[in-house]
This record gives sequence, structure tokens and C-alpha cells, in this order.
Amino acid sequence: MSEYLLQMTGICKSFAGVHALDHVNFAIRPGKVMCLAGENGCGKSTLVKIISGVYTRDEGEVVFEGNPISKITPAEATRLGIQVIYQDLSIFPNLTVMENLAINSEITEGKKFVNRKRWEATAKEALSKIGYEIDLQAKMGELSVADKQLVAICRALLFNAKLIIMDEPTTALTKREVDALFKTVRQLKDSGIAIMFISHKTEEIFEISDDVCIMRNGKNVYAGPTAELTRQDFTFHMTGRELTDDHFVPKNISKEPVLKVEHLCQKNKYQDVSFELRKGEILGVTGLLGSGRTELALSLFGLGKPDSGTITLNGQEVKITSPIQAQKLRIGYVPEDRLTEGLCLQQPIADNITLSSLKRLSKAMGFLRHQDILDDANIWKEKFSIATDDVRRFASTLSGGNQQKIVLSKWLSNDLDVLILNGPTVGVDVGAKQDIHHLIHELANEGLAVIIISDDLSEVVVNCSRVIVMRDGSIVGELTGSDIPEEDIIEIIR
Amino acid sequence: MLTKVKEFSQKNLYTSMLLALLVLLLLFFSITKGGTLWSLGTWNGIFMQFPEYGVMTIGVMFCFISGNIDMSFVALGNFACILGVQYMAANVTEGMGNGQIIGVMLVAVLIVMVIGAIGGVINGLLISLLNIPPVMATIAMQLVWTGVSVAITEGKAVSGLPSLYTDIGHKMVFGFLPFPFLIFLIIFVISAFLLKYTTYGEKLYMIGTNIKAAKFSAINTTGMTVATFVLCDVICCIGSLLMVSTMASTKADYGTSYVMRCILILVLAGVLPDGGMGKISNVFLAIISIQIIASGVNMFPSMNTYYASLIWGGLLIIVLILSTKLTGNGFFVKKRKKSS
Repeated sequence: MSEYLLQMTGICKSFAGVHALDHVNFAIRPGKVMCLAGENGCGKSTLVKIISGVYTRDEGEVVFEGNPISKITPAEATRLGIQVIYQDLSIFPNLTVMENLAINSEITEGKKFVNRKRWEATAKEALSKIGYEIDLQAKMGELSVADKQLVAICRALLFNAKLIIMDEPTTALTKREVDALFKTVRQLKDSGIAIMFISHKTEEIFEISDDVCIMRNGKNVYAGPTAELTRQDFTFHMTGRELTDDHFVPKNISKEPVLKVEHLCQKNKYQDVSFELRKGEILGVTGLLGSGRTELALSLFGLGKPDSGTITLNGQEVKITSPIQAQKLRIGYVPEDRLTEGLCLQQPIADNITLSSLKRLSKAMGFLRHQDILDDANIWKEKFSIATDDVRRFASTLSGGNQQKIVLSKWLSNDLDVLILNGPTVGVDVGAKQDIHHLIHELANEGLAVIIISDDLSEVVVNCSRVIVMRDGSIVGELTGSDIPEEDIIEIIR
Repeated sequence: MLTKVKEFSQKNLYTSMLLALLVLLLLFFSITKGGTLWSLGTWNGIFMQFPEYGVMTIGVMFCFISGNIDMSFVALGNFACILGVQYMAANVTEGMGNGQIIGVMLVAVLIVMVIGAIGGVINGLLISLLNIPPVMATIAMQLVWTGVSVAITEGKAVSGLPSLYTDIGHKMVFGFLPFPFLIFLIIFVISAFLLKYTTYGEKLYMIGTNIKAAKFSAINTTGMTVATFVLCDVICCIGSLLMVSTMASTKADYGTSYVMRCILILVLAGVLPDGGMGKISNVFLAIISIQIIASGVNMFPSMNTYYASLIWGGLLIIVLILSTKLTGNGFFVKKRKKSS
């Protein structure tokens, strides 16, 4: 038997001519934690899907426990002992913990009748594997993300898993929950199970992993023991460039704040939030999922009425009751989820760009010439170098970065005082990310006041001259300076 | 030439399917029925019959493009017309001049359209403000309107229309243009213009594609939904008014089959209730095709007219299969969810 549990060499996969994976090599040792790291869109998910049998590889060899595997199907992967815990956890939220744990084996064994005793036994056996205790009758949907994850791990163990793949498991966890998860991971590791841990968070990777595999643009650029890697090397491999000094330095910040938020509260969302924002400034708002950062932004955009507190815009107190009014007050918002909130995917790029400025483009009585839409869209296409040959193509034909440029254009074609960006570069590749950052810098220097909401700390650090950290709905810290260390933010974020 | 045809059909899948269907239908009935199909009477009949549900179809089209559906329009139209007819019956008296009668008729038409607008506002508010799924909200309203109509008429037909009104259904304008078709044409042109050359039309397609994104783009989605249902239901009430003139009376359950027929026509034309897609020209082609089938079946004396539904149903299935096969993806374009 070889030293490795799973060994993959020269894996290639392309979608419609685009190489998602380009000769990727990597290997996992039994009883070790292997970290798969890389930025968004680097091919991590594709690789996982090949291992779990969702996708079929175009080229390459896979060896599992010394045996070459020609074709992996999801059933085959399960039989081999490969289990994937996806980000959405694939649970049934309306069923109980017991039912969730037992249902898979009931189905695979072809049981036709419900036997509660047997179900309970299966569920208890699963929980005992990691010594985890939870009410078996609790509804799955009511559990915390951390508990759901542990149940999902237990379920994976029922299949005699030899390799458990966790897809960004820490995204929605608090620090304490992450610690608990890592404890379980170490426990699994000691019992000889290999863990493949997908993440892009530097600290976590150095804390938990034995080996690391770093991917960039569909290639693996580093594979080897974590111990041999410094944090600088790691960042270099992740981003593919030495950290150039493209930190934003505000050039002309106005004296008077353009936006002033005082003691803003929304029940169960955020409390007593106060801050000021000046023209020419980029303010970062960061915090974990559920820290109230998005809800705060939505309130500033008229979606979510604050219960108390005041918002002052250019010296005048305002009530923002709808996005329409926010637009009138010259506030723009680039939403968190580009695909469901930002774009009409099955409509032309041009119509998406001009969606918020139809009033400007139309003539009396709402008459509209389609040519005006195309002309306006073409201006933005040139300005942001949106990669398309024809703005009449559907927005769905573009890549994430270019789609984000559409959403940005949509708002920038209005005259704005304040632009709120929620996760402006989520799912955007490195090149486009830098483009977007430079663009934001330019806009700020032209006098726009910008708020960037992001949990990507490197993004916050590079772009913001001031950072507000939120936790459980309150502001717990504010950092200023042109070079805020990420570690300082991590200190207070949890 | 051939490559041009191919390119056109790839770009305009539904248009080419409908054109092919129309040619096939005309060929089939020409061969089997020859002269009967091409007589003036047949075509007069076709152009007199389709406007009442054709007008309704255009109304519902607006709902479909916005990603909604309306099941209540026939019941609402009947209710509105019951009040309108009762008004006319009560106010037209012996010895009134034509001018006076027309005056009463216009007031009645106005009453019907206002009730249609109110029905549209209710539908729109139920859906956009209270977030009730469109099918449920409009089915509930359908029951409400039918119930109210039955209550005030005791389920009986309401008649007593002035002959001036009942003549509308078979009147020829300029000696050759059926009056109902003229009404259809006017509504068709206005609707086409609304869709193509106004901000309303632009926003309608965008809302239908992704209402959430539209909301985040500072579009008044509540206003748009209410406006769309008002437009839909007012147009549908005009259809009901045409129906009243051909039936010379009105009743709580007249024309209930039109609900499904309108939906059938729209899906045939590629205006799917998913929203955000479809062309009004295709709706016209689909209406004509459906009417030609109905009239064609009528030309065979031995055939029960209900065979028309059988053909419509079969046709719908064929179109669904074809559109799935030809576009490569599922019939209802999958809305992309969060991708990782």
C-alpha cells in the first residue's frame, strides 16, 4: 500500500473551452489534514466535485488506496469512503436530527417501513463516533450552523468515511465554534481519517493543516507540508503577486461628513450604531456573518426600517424608506448577492446597466428609445472595459468580475454622494478584483463617499483608510490608518 | 437564403414554430375543405370570434411578462359586466334617441372598466404587498367575484341590453372590418407600443426576470405589479364587454373556459409565466392559430366542436417538447441560484 490515501496526477477539466483545472497534482495522506487553499474561482470547487464524482475529469489519474480508479461516480465515491460536507450541508431542515442521521442508510439498505428504534440506534451510533451530544428530536433547521455541521460530520462517519472533505466549513462560525470544530477534526484525524479542508483563511490553514495545496487559476502552484511554508510565501502563492503597495491613500477628504449615523438601532439586527462618513473616504465595515453588517447597509438603502436613531445626509436628517428614496438622496448600493439581487441574468447587459437610470434616459411620458439604452451602456462598457463584444448579450454570458462591473455601472450612471458596496469582489477573479479596487479608489478621489462591507480582511485593509468592526450587531472597534494590520482586526472581530 | 432562414429560426424559435404551424394548418384545411376555408364567411367568422378572448390574452400577457399569473380575469369581467348590463337595462328606456343610448352605453363601459381596475388593484396589492403567491391570490379572487356575481344575479343570466349594443358583435366598420377586431387591433397596437417604446415595458421585462434585483435597482416593484394587474384586468374587461355583445346577455359563469385558453395561447407563443420573456407578435400568431383550429373543426359537420380542445392540448404538448429539444435546456429556463 502506498503512503497516500488518495493521489491525483495531471487532472484536467474544462468547461466550454475554459480550463477550470489544468494538470493539477495532489495527494492526501491518511490521518492527516490537507488544506486546499486558493482564491475564489481558482478551481477548488471543481476539484472537489471531481473527487466526489459530480464531474468527470477530462484527463489525469486517480489512485485511491493504491488502486487506480478509472471513473468516479457519486455512488462509487461513497463506496470508497469519500464524503463531502458541502457549505449548504445538504440537510433536511424540517426533519429531526435523528431522521437526518438515519435517512441515508435507511434508503441505501432499501428499508420500506419506519422503525423508530432502529432509526434511533443508527443516530446514536453516529453521534457516539465523535462523542457529540445533542437532542435527537431537535428540528435540524433550528440548530446553529456549528451544530448542523457536526451532525453532517456524524452522518458522513456512518458511511465508514476514510476521507472527509469540508468545503469552507468555517465561513459562518464564531471563533469558539471554530475551535470546537477543529477539536473534532483533530479527533477524526487521530482515528485515521483523512480530512480535506477547503479554506482561504490564512490563520486557520496554519492552525489546522499538516499539508497544504494551493491553487491559482486552475493550477496547483504549491503542494507540500504546511510547516515548510511561511505566511509570506503562502500569500504569494495564493494571489500570484508580491503584495504591491496599492493601498488606498485618500487624497481629498471633505471636512464635513456627508453621512452621519447616530445611535441607529434595529431590533435583533444591530444596536446603537454611530459613525461618520466623509467625501473622498473609503470606510470599511467588517464583521462575521450575522454581525449586522448587511442589515445596517440595507437600512441605509431603505430596505429595513431602523427602530430608532438618526441618519443625517449633507447636514439634513433624513428617513430612508425605500431604495427609490435612497436613489433620490443619491445613495447607491451594490448588493451582497450579485446573482439574485444585483442582476437580471436572462436580460441583456445593456438593459441591466441602465435599469436604475431609465428616468434619465426616457423622454416625456416615459417614452424610451432602445438606442439610447444601448448608447448609454456602451459608454460604461468602454469605461470599465467590460469584456463583451455586444451589450445586447445576456448578463449571464459574463464572468463574475464583469457581472460585478455591470452592477457598479448601474449605480455609477446615477449621480451619487454615497456608494455602499457589500462584498464587492465575492466570486471575482484576481485580475478583475484589482480592476474593481482601482476603480473604487478613483471614484473616492473624485469625491464619492464609499462604504465597503466585506469579510475579506485583505480587501478591507487594502482599500479602507478607516475600518469599523461589528460583532453581534454592535460596533466593537474602529481602526484608522493607511496600513491596518489584519491581525488587529481579527483580534476584535470574534 | 437557406442560411438566413436557419439563422432567423434559431433566433426566433417561437416565431418560426408558430409560422410553421400556421402554414401547416392552412395547408391541411385547404386540402381537406378546399373552398370552404377560403370563403369570405369563414374569415369573417374567424376575425369576429377571436377578439373577445384575444383581447383577454393580451391583458394576461402583461401579467405573464411580469412573472405573475391571473386566474381571476373572467370572473372579474363577468361581475363588472353584470353591473354594466344592469345599468344599461335600467337606464335605456323606450323612445330614447340613438345618441342618448350611446351615452348610457359609454357610462356602462366606463363602470365596467373602473371595476376591472379595482379588481386589478386588489390582485396587485395581495401579491406585491402581502406576498401571496399570484396563483393563490387570483384563484381566491376568482371565487370571490364569482360568488358576488351569483349572489346579485341568483345565478341567472342578465339581459335587457339595447340592440345597439348587441349589434356591436357583428358590426362591420367600413363594410369589411369586424368591430370586435378593430377593438382588438387598437389594444394590440397600444400594447405593442407600451412594451417596446416606454420605460414601463422595459421595467416590466426586468421585473419579470428578477423582481428582487429590480427592487435593489430602485424600481418601484409594488407600483409596477399593481399597475400591471390594473392594465391586465381593464383589458380583460374590454374582452368581457365584447363577449357580452355576442351573447346579448351576461352571467356569472360565462366564458370560464377562456382562462385556460388564454394561458394556452400565451405558452404556445413563448410568453411563459416565469416572466421576463415573450413577444406580442407571437401572441397574435398563436391566437390566430388557435382560432383557425376551432373554425376548421367546425367545418367538419360530423365532428364535435370539443375536438378543438383535444387538438389544442396536443399542440401544446408538441410545442413544449419542441422548445425543450431545440433550446437544449429545460422548458422553463432555470433561474440560476447562488453558484459557488
